[in-house]
Formats: sequence, C-alpha cells, structure tokens
Amino acid sequence: MSENIEDALPLEIHDLTVAYHKRPVLWGIDLEVPKGKLIGVIGPNGAGKSTLIKSTMGLLPWSSGWVKVFGKPVKDNLSRIGYVPQRESVDWDFPVSVMDVVLMGRYGRLGLMKRPGREDRDIARECLEKVQMLPYASRQISNLSGGQQQRVFLARALAQESDLYFMDEPFAGVDAATEAAIVTLLQELKEKGKTLIIVHHDLPTARNYFDMLLLLNMRVIAFGPTESVFKVDLLQNTYGGRLTILSEVAEEVRKKT
Amino acid sequence: MRRVLFILLLTAWPALLHAQQAGGVAGEGDHTMGGRFLRLFDLNDTGVSNMRRALLGAVFLGVSCGLLGSFIVVRRMALFGDTLSHAVLPGIMFGFLATGIVLVGAGGVISADDMVRSPLESFGAFWKNSGCSFEFRVEELTKNPVLIFVGATIAGLLGGAVVTFIRRATRLKEDVALGLVLAVFYAVGVVLLTRVQGLGSSEVTGLSGFMFGQAALLTDGDLKLMGAITVFAVGTVAIFYKELLLTSFDNSYAEAAGFPVRAIHYSLILLLAFSVVVALQAVGVVLVSAMLITPAATAYMLTDRMHRMLWLSMGFGIFAGVSGAFMSFFFDAPTGPFMVLGATLVFVVAFLFSPRHGVVTRWLRQYSRAAQVQRENTLKAVYHVLEARDFEGEGVSLRELAERRSETEEDASRLSAELARHHLATLHEDGNQVHLTPEGWQRACEIVRNHRLWELYLTNEAKIAPDHVHDDAEKIEHVLGEEVVRALERTLDHARIDPHGRPIPGLADLQAGLAPEGGPDHILGFGKRL
Amino acid sequence: MSELIPPFDFQKVVIDTWTNGPFAIYGWGWRVLMGFLVITACGLVGNYLILRRMALIGDAISHSVLAGIAIAFLLTHSLGTLPMMLGALAAGLVTVGLIEFIHRKSRVKQDAAIGIAFTSLFALGVILIHTQMKGTHFDANCVLYGDLMAVGQSLVSVELSPLLAGKLKATGLTGETVLQGNELFLAPGQVLRMAVVTLVVIVLVRLFYKELLVSSFDSALAVSLGINATAIHLGIMSALSIVVVSSFDAVGAILVIAMLILPGATAHLLTQRLPVILWLTVAYALLSSVLGVHLARWIDCNIAAAMVVAGAALFVLAWIFSPIDGPIAKWRARNASVDQDLDGMGESAEPLVS
Repeated sequence: MSENIEDALPLEIHDLTVAYHKRPVLWGIDLEVPKGKLIGVIGPNGAGKSTLIKSTMGLLPWSSGWVKVFGKPVKDNLSRIGYVPQRESVDWDFPVSVMDVVLMGRYGRLGLMKRPGREDRDIARECLEKVQMLPYASRQISNLSGGQQQRVFLARALAQESDLYFMDEPFAGVDAATEAAIVTLLQELKEKGKTLIIVHHDLPTARNYFDMLLLLNMRVIAFGPTESVFKVDLLQNTYGGRLTILSEVAEEVRKKT
Repeated sequence: MRRVLFILLLTAWPALLHAQQAGGVAGEGDHTMGGRFLRLFDLNDTGVSNMRRALLGAVFLGVSCGLLGSFIVVRRMALFGDTLSHAVLPGIMFGFLATGIVLVGAGGVISADDMVRSPLESFGAFWKNSGCSFEFRVEELTKNPVLIFVGATIAGLLGGAVVTFIRRATRLKEDVALGLVLAVFYAVGVVLLTRVQGLGSSEVTGLSGFMFGQAALLTDGDLKLMGAITVFAVGTVAIFYKELLLTSFDNSYAEAAGFPVRAIHYSLILLLAFSVVVALQAVGVVLVSAMLITPAATAYMLTDRMHRMLWLSMGFGIFAGVSGAFMSFFFDAPTGPFMVLGATLVFVVAFLFSPRHGVVTRWLRQYSRAAQVQRENTLKAVYHVLEARDFEGEGVSLRELAERRSETEEDASRLSAELARHHLATLHEDGNQVHLTPEGWQRACEIVRNHRLWELYLTNEAKIAPDHVHDDAEKIEHVLGEEVVRALERTLDHARIDPHGRPIPGLADLQAGLAPEGGPDHILGFGKRL
Repeated sequence: MSELIPPFDFQKVVIDTWTNGPFAIYGWGWRVLMGFLVITACGLVGNYLILRRMALIGDAISHSVLAGIAIAFLLTHSLGTLPMMLGALAAGLVTVGLIEFIHRKSRVKQDAAIGIAFTSLFALGVILIHTQMKGTHFDANCVLYGDLMAVGQSLVSVELSPLLAGKLKATGLTGETVLQGNELFLAPGQVLRMAVVTLVVIVLVRLFYKELLVSSFDSALAVSLGINATAIHLGIMSALSIVVVSSFDAVGAILVIAMLILPGATAHLLTQRLPVILWLTVAYALLSSVLGVHLARWIDCNIAAAMVVAGAALFVLAWIFSPIDGPIAKWRARNASVDQDLDGMGESAEPLVS
C-alpha cells in the first residue's frame, strides 16, 4: 500500500465480488494498475467487463472487496475519473447540442446550482477541437454518425480533465478514420501521464493498441504487459469454457440465497 | 369443433338486436346495513333484483377482463389497456348523442332507437319518404346499449390507431403517445359530457354510472349485450389460442414463420376494446384498466403455464367483480372502486403468500435456510475441534466448541441443543459433551469437503490468491449440490488436500461414520491420516 | 344540431370574456390565469418526465394523490393547503415505492406494477371520499375533471392602513372593485397558491438546470460526476406530487396528465434545444388557456377539458408545421433531394447521417 498520495496507484482493486440479481458476475478481482499506461480489458461477452468498470466507479453495488482510486476510496475521488460509456446507454434524440454534451463534462467541477462559465466553454471548445468536432458544436446530437457520436463522448471525457479514464468499447461501430483519431488521442493522453483503462472487443487490434492487457472472464485470468499476456493458452483460458463450473455455482448461489 | 363455436358466435347477433330498455333504480326499501342484508332474501325487492343483475354482470366482466387481461400482461401492454379504457369516453358520448338523432319526414318520426331495432323497416320508410331530414332532439336522448357499444369500440380502435401513428410519425416515445391519447380523448369525452349535462336531458344522470361504475344500473339489455360480447371473446380466444400464444411469446419468430402478426395484434386490440365495454358500466372508465391488469397479474405470479393463467385470471376477475358488487351494495357506493379493491386484495395475498415466490414465503424460507446454515456451521466447528486433536475421543465439550467459534458457552449450549433437536448430535453429561450422530457426522464431512474442494478449485483453476478463497468458501459450502461436487472432484482429479494442507473428506470417510459396529453413538472417526 | 353546438357569437365568446370585469369576482380572467399557471407548472415538470421516459409514472401519481388527499382529510379533518400537500407528497412517494417493491420482489413487470399500484390507491381514495367526505366540496366530478368555474368565487383581501389606502386611491390605478374602503382585493386564494407553486417550479428548474439535464440524459455520467441522481429523481417525484395536488381543484386527476405531457410534447415537435422547449412550454400554456376558455364559453362545457382540447389542436398544428417530423418538412426534404439529383450532383455537402 502506498503511503505517499503522490505515489498512489491510479487504481487498486482488492477481492472485488459483484453480483447482479444475486448472481455473482465478478469473482474475487485483484488488480493494481500502474500510472501512465494504456490498458485494454479483453474477454468474451458476459465476462463482466462493463460490470468491472461500472462497479469500480460505484455505479453498481459490490458484495465484497474494496476499490481505491489514487489512494482514496472511489466516492471521495470521483473528480479524478473520466468516463466514456457505451453509445447505446444514451437516448440520442435528447434535445441537446454537441456543445451541451461536452459542457456536461465540466459539471463535476461546478458546484450545485452554478452555471458553466466562459472558461468552461473555452475548455469545451478546445476538447472539441482535439477530436475534430468543433464545426458541429451547435448541432443536435441525433444528426451525427456513429463515429461522430463517439468523438463527442471523448471530448466530454477530455473536458473532465481527469487523471484516470475508463472507456467502454469506444471503438465499437466507428469508421476507420475515427478509430485512428481515437488511438492518436489516447496516445497523447498517455504521454501526459494519464492512465487509460479501455474495454475492447476486438482481439487482433488489442495487441497493437495497448501497453498492458487485462484478460477477464468473471475473474482475472491474466494482467500484464501485452506481449507477455497475449499468449495462446491464456487466451484460450479466457475465451474457452473450462470454467463452466463457476457459472453453475453462481446459479446455485442465486437460487439458494 | 371450431365450426360449432363459430355458429354459436353467430347466434349472439340477434341478442344485440333485441336490446331492451328496462328501468333500474338503486332500490327502495330499508337502507341500513342490516336491512340491506335481509333484503337479499326478498325475491320481490327491486333493489335486490338489481343486485342479481349486478352479480351476473360481474361474472361476465370477470371472464372477459380476466381473459384479455392475461394477454395484455404477458405482452407488457398494461398501460395500453389504461389508455384504451380512458379513450372510449368520447365514443360512449357519441353513442349516447346518436340516440338524439331522428329522422323527420312525412311518415312521422323515426328515432335512432327504432333504426337499431328494426333497421329494415326504417330503411324502407326512409326510402319511401323523399322529403325527410335529420334533426337532433334532446328529449330523445336515451341510453342505448348497442349504440354505446359501437361508439366505444370505434373510439377505442381510433385511440389505438392514433397511438401507433404518433409513434411512427414523430420522434415522441411510446409512453408519451399513450399519455397523450389517454388524456386528449378523455378530454373530448368530458367536453361532450359536460355539454350534454347542460342540455337538461333527464337521461344524463344515467351516464354517471360510466365514470366510477354502478353495476346496479345494469339493465337486462345491458346484460344481454355483455353476455354476447363475452361469449364472442371467449370463443375467439379459444379458436385462435395457439396464434395468440405464439405471438405473445415471440413475435418475430411468429412473423418469420408466416403468421399474420399485425392482424393478430389488431384483433387483440379489438377484443380488448370489447372487454373494456363489457366492464364499463360496472367498473367505470377510470378503473376498468385495473380489472384488466390486476387479476391477470395475480395469475401471472402463481403459475408458469399460460392456460392455467387464463383460468386463474378469470376466476380472480369473477371474485373481484362479485365481491365488489356485494360491498358496494352494503356501502351504497359506486361498484368500481370496490371491485378494484377486491382484485387488489387477492393480488396482495398472492404476492405475499404465493407458495414459491411470495414475499412472506421467501422470507420464511430464508429464515429457515439461515437456521440451517447456522446448524451446519456448528457441525463444522465440531469437526474442526475433533480434527485438531486427531479425532481422539468422540465428545466435544461446550467450552471447546465455544472457543472454536469465538462465542460464549451459552451460545454454544444453545447451538448444540439445536443440533440435538434435529438429530444431528446427542448431548451427554448434562449437556456439556456433544457427540455427533451418524447423520451429523456425514453432514459435517460434507460441509468441510465442500469448503476445501471449493478453495482448491478457486486456487488451482480460477487462479485466485489463496488468502482470498476462505470467505468465498464460507458461503459456497452450504449451497453446493451433489452433482456440482462430483464435477469438482473430477476436475480436481479427486485431490485429497486443500490449499492449506488439510485433508479433504472423501466418500469413504463420510460413510465410515455409519458403520454398524459400536452403535449409533460411536463414531469410527476419520482416523486415516495422510 | 344547433341544440348541441351553439352558434358562435364572437361578441359573447371573445369580447365579453375580457371586457366584463375579467378580474373581478367571478371574472373570467381569473380562470384564464389559473389555467395558465397550472399548465405552466405541470408542463415544466412534465418536460422532465418526458425526457426521462416517465410519462406514465406521471399518470400513476396523478391518480394516486387522491388517496393521499383523502387520508390527509381523515387525519386532520381539514382541507387546508398544508395537509393536502403533505398527503399528496406521501401518496406520490408511496406510489413510487410500491411500484419498485412490486416489480422487484416478484416476476410482475414494471408496466403491470404501475397499473396495480395506482388503481388500487385511486380506488381507495374514491371510496374514502364517497363514504367519509360527504358534505365537503369534494365530489366525484371534481376528481374527474375539476371545476375551474369555481375559481373567482371570492378574492383574498388585505387590510391596509387608511393612509396607504388613501395613497393608493390617489394614484388612480385601482378601480372601485379592487379597493373597497381599506380593503385591497388581490386574487382568489387558489390563484395565489398556484402562483406560488408555479414560481417555485420555475426557480427550481432554473437553479438546478444542469443537474436535471445530466441526470435525465445520462444517469451514469451524473453519478460519476458526483451528482446525486437518486435525490434528483425523488425531487422530481415530489415536485410532481405537489404540482398535481395544487392543480386538483382546477383540473381533476385525469386531465392533469394532459397538462403534464401536452406542452412538452408539442414543444418537442418544434425544436431540439432544451431551453427553447422550456420557453415554448410557457407559450403553450398561455395559448391553450386563453383558447380553452373561449372554447368553453362557446360550447358551455368544462373549462379544463376545453383547454386540453385547444391544446390538442395546438399539438396537431405543431406537428403539421414541425421542422423535423411534420409532413410539410418531409415533403420539402423529398423535393429538395429530388432537385439535387436532377442537378446531377447526388452527393450532399453534409456529412453522413446514420
């Protein structure tokens, strides 16, 4: 455990178990994430990848374990986390413009009842610039393509000016140009010392994009530098069905409690 | 068989044509509660014959609402039912107002009533008289069940169509569309109603029954119509049962299989409009949706089979209707709210006490499970004490037990008494010594085995750190079934040692304690050291 | 047919409404004002129900506050503002709690849970009113469609000191009916109460604009920003209960649903910017209350219902002329693309819309 807050790890998870409708979805997760890395989270569907992110941020309740962000409990340090959710999580018919969405990233810093000011707007514009969406600032969000929507979400996360970023499948369903733009952006953030944890769905590209990989299937299969983790046997463990017993027991737990 | 049913349906049509107007008054006679009870047995009492009509009406509405409501609940259209039941109000009003339209000509006056009852004659008269015109006369206004039924059905279907239109043509979502149709159609109905109230027709007071329901106002004509509609609805559901079932369960599959899903959907809405009309006079516009939803939701909680759900739902609907009619009779109040409360009461009982999923049932089960877990933990503690001294001696003293579980001796005494009560242990020496029975021994071994197997599994297969697995195993040891244990043993190659180096009891060890030599109080013990 | 629909007498319907002492006792101006305040308050709260896809919970709460009102009366034997509001508040929160309880603890889905919760509470309320509240001004019809005609029966007055009264009279601003002796007549009690409620709603929407926005748009983000989404949710439910109970006398339990949803729905058809939607809600309130009163004067029917019908006409108009969803816009778009193709361009300069 780190004594000095400055040296505190961006993310520490200890023995985290999360249940969904009484059925365990994540089992005894242990994780220590070093600073300034681009980390990909890989695993099959239903492996709990989104659950891991959401429960880490306190959006889902956990049955046991604890989570610390930069040495402090998550709830006390939310301002240091930036979040890019899946695109489906939002109603794109909502009557807001691109600029409005990016400004939402600043709300965490404003107090209750205060309005975004000039400085906030300037920062929002900068972030839009970085994702090349500034010309669309006043456009309503339903008139955007998938890739553009993703970029707006990214701009919002940038506007949060956090040190630890969680992103849930940011590359899903985007065009090649957007994908390249996102990768460049992520590299820039990393260079600035930010830590990025990204749920990713595509194995081949995972190898190229990330410094470290977390192989997840209800529990941590492996975590480490990409080259040492991206191995056939580990991947088989992640995606294969050897641990059906775990799911059966999870079902028993659900039925009997 | 289907043809017979179809012919039966056709015979319902004449019933529609012969709707009569019989007066119904809420009843003279003794109005005290006791007096009312005695009146039930007086066959000549008009108030009671109203009551009997109300009961028959309640049966009809229970059947049709229960039946259609089941499909609504299963298709998650509950709030659509609510919208439909409010949207019929303008239709009722138009049906009422239509009776004021008369055909005036040289041959006399033909009212709308006449036109419905003897359409051919009216048509003939209209044809013969060239110089006749339509007029609206307030004094002709009357409650004609057929016209009201037709009006309500049209309004209901129109409402459904508008909801679909709003969904398709605008970006507004389903809940907004439903709320809009509900409130706007209702408002149109209110405009008509309050307008007509200002016209001074004496028949208007009869309409008040449509708001909160007044089953006592049901006439014989109303009942015949309700009966005919109910028979039609039941017949249609019976004939098209499998289509309705399939489209309710998996609409896309049904469509892919070539079923006309749109037609089925609209037919369902039509039947729904019919059952709303049946229930309307008894329950009222505002509360009809409750009679559609509540009995069906109750049935939904109690069974896994659709056909049983239909029967249960109809039964609950009838019960709600009948009890509501009785209660409103005693309190001299509108019937609708009482019927709804009756249905809700049944729902609450089922919700709490349903055999498998009821809230109270589950709580009791959890409570007994918690007690069982506690017993098993005590058994485990006894085992650990025995293991710690290499299984020498059978008895475990209360003090040792208390120390093992970090509790007081009183608690230990209580726990061991529990074990004794369930024949898992026997007490000796004034209750200070605990000896496990063969059953107790077996269960203790099972628990310890489960715990250690699970720990091994987590560390070997799931690669979880050894210091994390204990808490998990504490929970899991109680829920593992025998099949899973076999699977675990196979996966772990029948390992005999857990991650902490302790032996895992095997099948032979479990049974060793059951050997007949030495009698039931003697445990042969797990003396085989590894 | 002339018996059913009276002839449209412009003088009587429109002119007289505003010239015969609209703000005196029984003046029509009060009814318009009450309608305007009700629709504004309901429409603003209702906007957030629409955005959060909770329009039908609004339907549920509007029915179940009846039970709250009845129980409050039973406990306090008074129809005063405070017991009514507390009763409504309790009923609203109980409803929300019941819905959650039913659909979390059983396999009953949320839509059926909503139906069961509010109909049982509504039935309970009706029975209580019918059996226990005979003799109060609460009657069945009031529940169903309210009684806006009753607004303006009496005006709240304030006793001024003679000096102040004299000065006021000297300014010539007040007529003889407004200032009688030393009594200054203000407005009917209901209007004053509703004005306070509406004002509070406007202030809250302004103050908590961004919290409401984020929690309605993306609740996960709201939580991760440290905004208490649960508190916002309960706050909206509470505001809904208060607004519904305040509107009760005027519009009843069912028409209030229209007042909650119609303004926002209409505005949504015309614009995609939230601040404009909020302003349009107020404009809608003004138009529909004025038009509704004229309609009721003409046909002689319930005023609240007439306001809803007038509002529905506005909705249809908004749809026809809607720049996004309406038939005119779509017809234009089709013709425009045809023109472009004819120009031989085929590509538009706009980026792809998916």
